[in-house]
This record gives sequence, C-alpha cells and structure tokens, in this order.
Amino acid sequence: MRDRGLPFVLMAPAFLIVLATTLYPLSYSLITSFREWRLTRQRRPGDFVGIDNYTGAFTNHEFLSSLWVTTVFVTISVVATVVLAMALALLLRRTGRLHTFVRIILILPFAMSPALIGVSFRFMFNPEFGVLAQGLGAIFPFLKGVAWLADPRFAMGILIVTDVWHWVPYMTFMCLGGLTAVPRETEEAARIDGASGFRILWEIILPQMRGVLVVVAILKTIFALKMFDQVVTLTGGGPGASTETLAYFVFKVGFHWFDMGQASAMAWILTAIMMVISIWYVRLLMSERKLVTA
Amino acid sequence: MAEVRLENVVKRYGGFTALPKLDLHVNEGEFLVLLGPSGCGKTTTMRLIAGLEEITEGDLLIGGERVNDKEPKDRDIAMVFQNYGLYPHMSVADNIGYPLKLRGLGKSERMAQVRKVAEKVELGELLDRRPSELSGGQRQRVALARAIVRRPQLFLMDEPLSNLDAKLRVTMRAELKHMHHEMGITTVYVTHDQMEAMTLASRIVVMNKGRIVQLDTPERIYSEPADLFVADFIGSPSMNLIHGQIAGGTFTAEGISLPVSAPDRAKVVLGIRPEDLQISDASTAPIKAPIFALELTGESTLVTLRAGATQLCARGAADFRAKMDDTCGLAPRPGGRIHLFDPESGLRLPS
Ligand SMILES: Nc1ncnc2c1ncn2[C@@H]1O[C@H](COP(=O)(O)OP(=O)(O)O)[C@@H](O)[C@H]1O
Ligand SMILES: [Mg+2]
Repeated sequence: MRDRGLPFVLMAPAFLIVLATTLYPLSYSLITSFREWRLTRQRRPGDFVGIDNYTGAFTNHEFLSSLWVTTVFVTISVVATVVLAMALALLLRRTGRLHTFVRIILILPFAMSPALIGVSFRFMFNPEFGVLAQGLGAIFPFLKGVAWLADPRFAMGILIVTDVWHWVPYMTFMCLGGLTAVPRETEEAARIDGASGFRILWEIILPQMRGVLVVVAILKTIFALKMFDQVVTLTGGGPGASTETLAYFVFKVGFHWFDMGQASAMAWILTAIMMVISIWYVRLLMSERKLVTA
Repeated sequence: MAEVRLENVVKRYGGFTALPKLDLHVNEGEFLVLLGPSGCGKTTTMRLIAGLEEITEGDLLIGGERVNDKEPKDRDIAMVFQNYGLYPHMSVADNIGYPLKLRGLGKSERMAQVRKVAEKVELGELLDRRPSELSGGQRQRVALARAIVRRPQLFLMDEPLSNLDAKLRVTMRAELKHMHHEMGITTVYVTHDQMEAMTLASRIVVMNKGRIVQLDTPERIYSEPADLFVADFIGSPSMNLIHGQIAGGTFTAEGISLPVSAPDRAKVVLGIRPEDLQISDASTAPIKAPIFALELTGESTLVTLRAGATQLCARGAADFRAKMDDTCGLAPRPGGRIHLFDPESGLRLPS
C-alpha cells in the first residue's frame, strides 16, 4: 500500500528551508516597513507607525528622484538590450565557423561579475589613463578630456552601457533559440510572395518571435529594476544622485542612514512595482497564446 | 504563363555536387513533374527555379529572360511548400491576401479577391481561423489559395500532398489537376510518388543522383523506360527484372525459357511488368517456379514466384487460389511488352 503522507514528509525539510529563507525575511521586512526602527537610536524594532514609512517615501525628494532614475535606466536598458539581442541573433543565425566562434566569445561578458564590470569600466573611462576615454578622444576630438563619470548624463549612459553589455549576450542566446522555432519556409514563402527583407523581418519573423521577446523583456526588466552592483562599483550613485537607482537608494537608507523601517517600506514599493510590471507582461504573453492557439 | 529553361545548370553545396549538369525545358502551360527517389535533387532544382538557392553555373530562363540574378519576388512565381509554409500568426484570409498586400492592393479589393479564391478551394467558412486550427487538408488548400490568388506565370509545388493521408491525397490530386486545366498556368511539381506523377503530369522528368534519366510523357515512361532505374522505379509493384542470356531467339534464366525476337547476347536483363504476365498451365508455361507469396489487393491477386535468385511477380485474377510452394506457371499476356536492358550500362536495348 502506498503511504500518501510519505511524499509530504520527504519534502518537508526542503519546504521548511525555503520557508525559513524566503518567507521569514519577506514577512519580517513587511512588518518592519510598518514600524519605526532607526538603528542609530534603538537596537530593536520600535512602535508601529501605520503607513508613515510609505507616505514618507513618497514625500522624500531623493526617493522620488531615484524612482525617476530607475525609470530612465530600466526603459533605455530594456529597449536597448532587446533590440541589440534580437539584431545579434539575426546576424548569428546562420551556421559557419565565424558564427560559432562569435557565439562562444559572446558568453564571456555574461560570465563576468557585475561588480567587476563596474570596476573595469570605471578604469576604462578614467580621463587620464582609461583606454576607452583615450580611444574615444582620439577618434572624436570633441570628446577629448571629457570627465566621463563626473558628468550626470555620461555617467548614466555608461551605467546603461555596462548593463546592456553584460546582458545582451545571454538575451541573444534566448533570441537565437526563439529564431530556430521560426520555420524557414515562412520566410521563403514571404520572399516568393514578394516581401522585402525589412517586411519579412517586421511582418513574418518578429510576430512569430513575440513570445520569446516578451520573456526576454520580462527578465531584463526585473534585473534592471534591481540594478545595484555597477552603481556601487562604477558611479557610487553620482555624480550627485544622478545614477542612484531604487535598489541603491534603499541600500543607502538602510545601511548609511540606518533607517530600517523606511528602507523596508521602499523595498516593498520596489517589489510592488515589479509585480505590477510582471503581471502586465504575463497578460501580454497570454493574449499572444490566445492569438496563436485559441 | 511562361516557359522555363535550365541550360547547363550546375549546383554545388561547398564540395558536394547536387546537380552535375541539368538541361531542362518546361513548355508553356504544361504540368511537368520531377520524379525521383529522395535525395536525387528535385527540391534543389525547384529552389533554383524559385531563386531560393543560387545557381553555381549555367543559365535559368523564365519566359525567355535570364533570371539567375533576379530576386525570387521579381520572378513572378508562386510556390507551395511541403510543410505548407503558412504564416502561423496570420488568419487564413491574411495568409491568402499577403501576396496582394505586398503588391499594394487596398484592403477591400484584397478581401474581395481572397473571398473569390477561398470559395474556389472551399475555404470560405474558415477565413478567420489561424493555420493551427486547420486540418492538414485545409492547410494545403490555404497554401494553394495563396499561390493562385495573384495568378503568377509559374507554379512550383514541392511534394505538396506528401503530408496528407492517402485518401485525401487522391482527392487533392484530382483538384490540382482540375485547377491546372482551368488556369493553364505552367507548373513544375516535385514528388517521389510515381502514382502522383503518372496521374498529374503532362510530362515526367525522372531524376536520379542529380541527373535527368528520362523526360517523357507518362505513357512512354511506363511503356518504354529508358533504363533499368526508370524500369524499376515506375510501376507498382515494380517491373520484374531477370538476369539471363539470349541464344537462338530464346531468353533463358533459372526456371525461365522465353522466346524473344532479339539477337544473341551473353548477358542481358529482361523486364516484364506484373500486369503483362498471366497465370498459365504449369506444364507448358515458359516460366515455372514455386509460389513464394500470394497477396490479395482487392481487384487482383499478386502472385510472387521464386525462380532461383529472382522473384517474379504477376497480377492474377482476384479469385485465383493456390497453395504456397506449389509450382505455378506464368506466360506473357498476349500483347504484353517485353523490355530488354544492357546489364552493364543499364540502358534499354532496341527491340
Ligand atoms: N543546403 C544544402 N547543403 C548541402 N547539401 C544539400 C543542401 N540541400 C540539399 N543538399 C543535398 O543535395 C542533394 C539533393 O537534395 P534535394 O534536392 O533536397 O533532394 P530531393 O528533394 O530530391 O529529395 C541531397 O544529397 C542533399 O543532401
Ligand atoms: Mg525534396
């Protein structure tokens, strides 16, 4: 006779570990977000203050500024990553020695740690001895001597570049996978039907890639919303607060200013944003499923 | 409508030569079928004509004009693919209308033409569906409709019926034939199914290993195969091919002694179709051997004898009954054809 309870018993340890490592900190931070808890004044969480920490976040200029910084960063980074990954996938689609070689090389950026990427780009954009700063100055004379990371717009640009550089390879592989699912015949049929290369891409290939592109966009959006490592190692949030992303600002509130209640509330706002965006994407995905299989 | 000419066409894929040298002339308005075993270069030939593959050497002319360097879209052709090649993200109507859309036709005029064509292939009810919601036969019809909607000067069809079940294939075959009769558009049709080739073609091109072995009408391909390959490939069950010799007007092989009107030859292959053999009295018959198999097909019984190393198949009456391993006699039917081939070159010998 089969013991119906056995599977549950066997799964219990794993289940408890998951519970302890995710649910506990999650609920703890949720509770903390409704309490007053400044480590500079008290060692233990203090009084419940209702939604004060949340209203506090939305009246905090720096928080709102980091929300804006994050929006700009996520939008540009996601769009650039999806477009570049798709373009690269189209270029690498054919098989050949060169294509295989490039595919292998492509893995390297993704294998690098984001923190390290930040540090190395910081060196490369150093106006005195940075390779990229010197190189760009040599090619475009008007860029000579630019203090790249000291200029808010350039700093944001470089931050985006490092992130896109890091993620494009992985997303290219996802797009390549998606492309193999697009039947050659649909393209060839379109060529014979009279479509130009651009129209084949736009009206035949991309619509069939929609599912994959939505997944790529979801993943990239979530990772971009959490952008933290390169902010620390590349710009430190500066110049000013021009590259202070939400994740970085939450860290600052918690571990520079030691306001745990406020930091928890902000972290939960970030989580809520992610959830809303994810749901929206999933809707997009579902509507496509309906189109294809309904 | 147009004629198509392939002149000294060579196709190489890297080091591999798929078509060593192809000369082919497709007449205006004809239904030409490329027939041959898998891998013989039929699809390659078709893709060269379509422009999906580049011609390594030689010339391709459509309607008298050299089109080697023309894009597929500028060749005014339509193609039906084996896996249909439908656009999965578009409705049936949009699939059929896409070639018209690309030619800049307005929506209302497009829909009018799409409806007309859809009626013709009996898809009128399904215009809003997606390809994934259709049966194989319906998908095939969509592919056909998409091909005929803009009345190209040339149709290319690459094994369009091979993914359908046997019954549907017969129906679609008749429809294709009727459509060709109605529209009269030059058609090049690829298949490995000799039955399809025989029923559809005005002329058949039999290919083997990238070369044309015979180009002729279905009747002549059947009655006068140019060599052993064609003799063996065409007909079902295929022609009996017997190795033996001819001396004094008699062909002899193990269990066989058959009068033929041909000069002496030490080595020869005699071919005779199962339908040209009939069962006869075992004591006087020119062919005598034990029965190896009996297969009832419905309208006839296939009798297979084992004479030495060769098996001989004959088509007998449906009510023919005998025991396995019994000796059975076979004789050529009056008026039945006997073919002779050179075993070295495989070529047909004049008779
Ligand atoms: N893209 C290709 N690259 C290399 N070899 C190919 C390619 N396409 C076809 N071939 C080869 O060319 C020969 C003819 O192929 P194909 O025309 O598809 O045959 P068929 O349609 O008669 O079955 C085959 O041996 C096949 O392996
Ligand atoms: Mg083929």
